[in-house]
Amino acid sequence: MPRTRDAEPIELHGDIWKHIQPGEVILDARGITKRYPGGVLANDHIDFKIRAGEIHAILGENGAGKTTLMSILFGLLQPDEGEIYVRGLKVNFRSPEDAIKMGIGMVHQHRKLVPAHTVLENILLGHPKSRGVINVKEAEEEIEAIAQRYGFRVDPRARVWQLTEGEKQVVEIVKALYRGAKILILDEPTSALTPVETERLLESIETMTQEALGVVPFITHKLPMVLAISDQVTILRRGRVVDRLETAKATEQILAQKMVGRPVIFDLQKPDVTPGKPVIQVENLSARNNKGVIALKNASFTVREGEILGVAGVAGNGQHELAETLMGLRPAEGGRILFEGQDITHRSILDRWKLGLGYTPAERTEVGSIGDFTLVENVAMNYYFDKRYNHAGFLDYGGLRQLTEQIIEDFDVATPGPDVKIQTLSGGNLQKIILGRVLSRQPKLVIANLPAQGLDVGATEFVQRKLLEARSNQAAVILISEDLDEILSLSDWIAPMYEGEIVDIIPAAEARKDLIGAMIAGLHREN
Amino acid sequence: MTVAGYHIRLQRRTNLPGWKAALFSILAILFGLFLFSLIFWQAGQSPREIYKQIFGYAFFNSYGLRLTINRFIFLAFASYAFIIPYRAGLWNIGMPGQLYLGALAAFGVVYLLGGKTGEMTASQPVVITLMVLAALLAGALIGGIAGFLKGKWNVNEIVVTMMLNFIAFNLVAFMIKDGGPFMNLGGRGESFELPEAARAPLIAGFPYTLILVILLMIAIYLLFARMSLGYQIRAFGKNPPAARYAGVNPFWISVLVFLLGGALAGLAGYHYFAAVPGVYKIARTYGYFGDLSFYGMICGLISLGNPIATLFVALLFGGLSIGGRSAQGKLHLGFGVDYALMGMLMISLVAFQFFYHYQILITKQATPATARQYE
Repeated sequence: MPRTRDAEPIELHGDIWKHIQPGEVILDARGITKRYPGGVLANDHIDFKIRAGEIHAILGENGAGKTTLMSILFGLLQPDEGEIYVRGLKVNFRSPEDAIKMGIGMVHQHRKLVPAHTVLENILLGHPKSRGVINVKEAEEEIEAIAQRYGFRVDPRARVWQLTEGEKQVVEIVKALYRGAKILILDEPTSALTPVETERLLESIETMTQEALGVVPFITHKLPMVLAISDQVTILRRGRVVDRLETAKATEQILAQKMVGRPVIFDLQKPDVTPGKPVIQVENLSARNNKGVIALKNASFTVREGEILGVAGVAGNGQHELAETLMGLRPAEGGRILFEGQDITHRSILDRWKLGLGYTPAERTEVGSIGDFTLVENVAMNYYFDKRYNHAGFLDYGGLRQLTEQIIEDFDVATPGPDVKIQTLSGGNLQKIILGRVLSRQPKLVIANLPAQGLDVGATEFVQRKLLEARSNQAAVILISEDLDEILSLSDWIAPMYEGEIVDIIPAAEARKDLIGAMIAGLHREN
Repeated sequence: MTVAGYHIRLQRRTNLPGWKAALFSILAILFGLFLFSLIFWQAGQSPREIYKQIFGYAFFNSYGLRLTINRFIFLAFASYAFIIPYRAGLWNIGMPGQLYLGALAAFGVVYLLGGKTGEMTASQPVVITLMVLAALLAGALIGGIAGFLKGKWNVNEIVVTMMLNFIAFNLVAFMIKDGGPFMNLGGRGESFELPEAARAPLIAGFPYTLILVILLMIAIYLLFARMSLGYQIRAFGKNPPAARYAGVNPFWISVLVFLLGGALAGLAGYHYFAAVPGVYKIARTYGYFGDLSFYGMICGLISLGNPIATLFVALLFGGLSIGGRSAQGKLHLGFGVDYALMGMLMISLVAFQFFYHYQILITKQATPATARQYE
């Protein structure tokens, strides 16, 4: 069905992308300003240019205004003020469809693909060409041509649910390119990839820029990646551009300092802690995933007081099932869990909280918090059963409010107060409340599932410091992370996981990043 | 949107004080009454006269007020029965069935004590206490079925409660109609009449169940505002996976809210058939009261599950159903005008809830110069 509303400008400028010269300004955003309810200035007169053949990283903490800016560039939001020019032509995006037609493509951090469909079907979904009869053969050839040109490996006939996160990312990029994207916006492009996949992706991006495409990765905390791939960096803080610089002149320290607004310590001081007695002993533990397939296979390990066990692995290799089974959210299929010598394999979740286990889930909004509840009510999630705050069935909300204020102070949570709904907090502050709530119970075992994922440099450092603090206080910590640097810098023991199995348990002193990288990619199994 | 240099936009509210919510509800009622007055006016009637008749009879006529209060008590129990599961994110559509069983159980007590044949010797306090307990228990049991199935196998509670309504409806028919154990000796398709000792005492002309309504309001308010159990119910209602993570047992919450909801609906049945003056039997028209209990659902939804606000809504609808019917007869209005008016108010109340979530901002159009001053 023809859509007369936006047909006109697009048809008129269909050839806008002819004869691009490398170095030419292809996107020019001037004075972009966006104000949210409550008067928050998410973007404050941001000027931003990208040239053909350039990788222009946008760096900023959570809440710095990156997401708002990219949503505006992609037509998801309309700016209150400011203008956007694509190749000198003023544009006014009313929806992503307009942006796509002007040659802007975007790859989201949370992949938006239909799992049950094939790669080809996902790429064609919503494409203008797919209205009417689809020439599958032709489309397949075109997609393969694109993939070959940029060095992507993609099987158009594979089903999306069978793909790894890295492969899904490739599908998203190919999808954008197939739609004729000349400017590619990448949101946290490597957050879920293995080191090998990351390297491959970076190579492909290099190839793209040789064809005069503009690439705009948005990055919160992987500074080494910024340095490795980008030509230019624009740094945002509190909605403003604080600096623009050539990557060649930048160092990690400089970038971090500008982004956070204060010096950031990169080398976490890991104090010497003498491990105490075993807190948790896991023997041959197995569990099924949500599809009913055994996803955790015969895991065995022990964590003692004052130790951090770093469980490394790419998403979907059984770490999640391990964490949930330990906490009782998922039934154990076999094996047993001893907590301070007591068999807790079949104890209820509530019992485990009471015994001194503590879990910070990876799904902070879906599981870790209740968006419609206030901060106080969210803190109560770990205290409603606690004798100190539960007197004969009545909750001591006054006491809980004080406790919340204490957590806000101790964990440096940016919030108007303890009585606002928790859904108003940014990702980093939400995680601080969840972690603060769990750690305030002084648990004997902390299970931290992706505690720093998606957090900015400042919040990441904070969360990691708090985990080390728990370790110093003789807690046993199980840290699940996809970030090998994090695993290496925090853990005393490292357990790489691949396809549901713990490949090996290595003392941190003997751990080598490349070896662990190979283990979690399944390349090191036979040795 | 921009009109004549003024910028009009919608903004999501971050919080809403209670008095504002109440104000919007009052505005919604006035707006609904205004809209409906257009219909009266169109039909050549004076809206002023009609509203005077409706509200005057419902709230300022001593006979009408008694009818209103009786309806109000019934609706309040039915609302509570809906609210408690609703706060756990579960829908109790089984108030009719629960109240039928509550009534049957209360009458069953009298029947077993020999009240049908006039051989009852137990004293009034004993009989009434047993009747209330039986009504609570019977309502809880039939409600609990839905909660159990929901908690154990995640069976849709709406379907289960609805189906149980049909079973309960026919069970009442079996009990009170021809040949049924509770059959009225006159055979009018009604139950036997309660003996004097089984009739609820009146306080200042109103059934004592009015006091239960007030006490229960306080109890439910405290449950959700102060108690650990209420906290768990609310947490489960807002985010079940998060509640489970925090150690809340989804099975017990499902069972419990339906036990409580069913018990309170049982009281509604007890109230109408054993406490309202002039009834004191399970009437032939018991199906009408089953349908009326769905208004409890509407009261609960309009008041967003708040037990205090619910009472005001229940009072309004109780009054309108009485006053509307009276005005219809007195002023020869068309059939169904009372329900149409209640429907109009419901729509208006629900539409005004938009303002619970959004506010409209009208500002002079921002120019770049003025905009900068914001910083």
